[in-house]
Amino acid sequence: MTEPILEARGLTKFFPTKRGTVRAVDDIDFRMAPGDTLGLVGESGSGKTTTAQCVVGIYAPTTGDILFHGQSIGATAAKRSKELKREIRIVFQDPGSSLNPKRTIKQILATPLAVHHLASGREQVARISALLERVELPPAEYLYKHPQSIGGGEKQMVAIARALATDPSFVVLDEPTSALDVSVQAKIINLLLGLQKEMGLTYLFITHDMSLMRNVASRVAIMYLGKLSEIANTAEFFQMPLHPYTKMLLSSIPVVSDEEESLKPAKGISRGEIPSPVNIPPGCSFHSRCPSRLDVCDKIDPATVEVAAGHVVRCHLYPGSQERTS
Amino acid sequence: MPNASLLLEIRDLHVGFRIFEGHLRVLAGVTLWVAEGERVGLVGETGCGKTTTVKSVLRVLPIPPAIVTSGEILYRGRDVLRMHRRALHVLRREELTAIFQDPLQSLNPVFTVGSQLRDIVRDSMRTPEGRVLSRREIEARCIQALEETGMPDPERIMSNYPIQLSGGMRQRVCIAEALSTTARLLLADEPTTNLDVTIQDQILRKLDRLVDQKGSSVLMITHSMGVVRDLTQRIYIMYAGSIVETGPTRQLLASPKHPYTQGLMASVPRLTGRGVSEGIPGRIPNYLEPPPGCRFHPRCPHRMPECSVEAPPMSDVGADQRAACYLYRRSPS
Repeated sequence: MTEPILEARGLTKFFPTKRGTVRAVDDIDFRMAPGDTLGLVGESGSGKTTTAQCVVGIYAPTTGDILFHGQSIGATAAKRSKELKREIRIVFQDPGSSLNPKRTIKQILATPLAVHHLASGREQVARISALLERVELPPAEYLYKHPQSIGGGEKQMVAIARALATDPSFVVLDEPTSALDVSVQAKIINLLLGLQKEMGLTYLFITHDMSLMRNVASRVAIMYLGKLSEIANTAEFFQMPLHPYTKMLLSSIPVVSDEEESLKPAKGISRGEIPSPVNIPPGCSFHSRCPSRLDVCDKIDPATVEVAAGHVVRCHLYPGSQERTS
Repeated sequence: MPNASLLLEIRDLHVGFRIFEGHLRVLAGVTLWVAEGERVGLVGETGCGKTTTVKSVLRVLPIPPAIVTSGEILYRGRDVLRMHRRALHVLRREELTAIFQDPLQSLNPVFTVGSQLRDIVRDSMRTPEGRVLSRREIEARCIQALEETGMPDPERIMSNYPIQLSGGMRQRVCIAEALSTTARLLLADEPTTNLDVTIQDQILRKLDRLVDQKGSSVLMITHSMGVVRDLTQRIYIMYAGSIVETGPTRQLLASPKHPYTQGLMASVPRLTGRGVSEGIPGRIPNYLEPPPGCRFHPRCPHRMPECSVEAPPMSDVGADQRAACYLYRRSPS
């Protein structure tokens, strides 16, 4: 693997609450090469957004570290340097609440340019127009509009333009299309893929939609209750899913053609509720819902094993995982 | 085709909303039917009028601002829109039932699950002799309804408040409420949209089995093509307040004919991983001034001059499959 652009080492984030500690992200490791798209997939409460927020510095990790180009960046944004904040940007899920309704699109896009002293005056207007053109919104029409007068897809494009304003190399996309309709989603995804090629971006793409992941990610990581269950390159991941949770997820996706139906693993009956992250079951956190659980599963937390090059899985079913006890 | 065993029939329904800016013409001639024991899907994107359609059937649209300008909604041949208040109550009690998208909004937060469920059972169930159920029978029926949805420990759930349950559990309560009665037609408005895929899978399978057991009909409203494919036999594709295409579910999804349906199907990300299409340009029209003629024409790649003059009628495009598009007007019927 080439020099990773971003690496998480034992990244952990706990939130103390009155009813106990929420183990939102619990000791996860991953590496991303430049130009990669890592798809982080998980159900609600699995800690995927918390991971993203640690990467952009909304939270500082409880323990563990995040390395960006080999440099530790495990601190909140307040302590990060401006250069770093220029490099790592985020697009949030709901553009309706991430764009200030009282400002025009021009003002929204001017903020990052002003904060980072990138452009001012006439040059700023030119940069904003170029940004809008980049996300395929004609500047003449959109510059002086307010967010509420444009559609959801267009708002998300403005949010993407805002993230790209500082010419970053790494963008976190936190469910950028899950609030949108499929016909709009398709447009945004194409735009994002085009921009990635054009600007050499690396994406950390968070979603719960596996079919979408199949089409955008180069690597896929599955998260369950704060831990990574499986990471693999996309093609391999969908051809040979190993973790029982991955199989359950894949077989639960509603698909629209017979061809896709044949790609899904044999119908693993999904069952059980997702346990609360305050009260994670002992041993492997998935054992209560697992169709192929072993006796050790509720006692010992499995360690991660690399079963093939770049294919990492955390399950007792794969030999080697019993070596480390939790 | 309409036949003798029609349960629900909506004929050329026009519904609008009077607001400060003018008249929103939302539904522009919706025509659909559900036969006895049939499962029908109504698919469309945000703002296309799916929920307005369901609400008109249940007659829970707030009038005003809503106005039904024309059209009929026939339930077993009787017009719901002209029904007397008492008759409507009987209809809702004995024939129709609904599941909505957000269970937190359809469950009352200040009553326990049990008390809400008991109310429904007491109001809508009668013994074969027509007697009101006794308290013990009601209790047993409620617990049985919760058990049928796969809920663990139904006695405890009965004494819980909705906020004490997870999203999946709440939706199961709504399903239990909807299916605890003897209703013949289930209107399910995006019942699993807020849920995770593994939970969605469980709920849909449960719903599927329960509906099978009771032999009820279903009108399933959703924007997910995958969900309708698993659960329905026939679908209607809706765009901007009108039905653009209809046909047997799998056949229609495999070979969509209307340009909108084609664009929509191409936009759905597939597991095969062949990339994502360009999407459909433009967006859903403003209902204050909807485009004349076919409401899809400003976004349509096959636009013709007549498209902006008059809305196209339904044409046959395959076995039982019909599309409202001028592209197919000369095809043999």
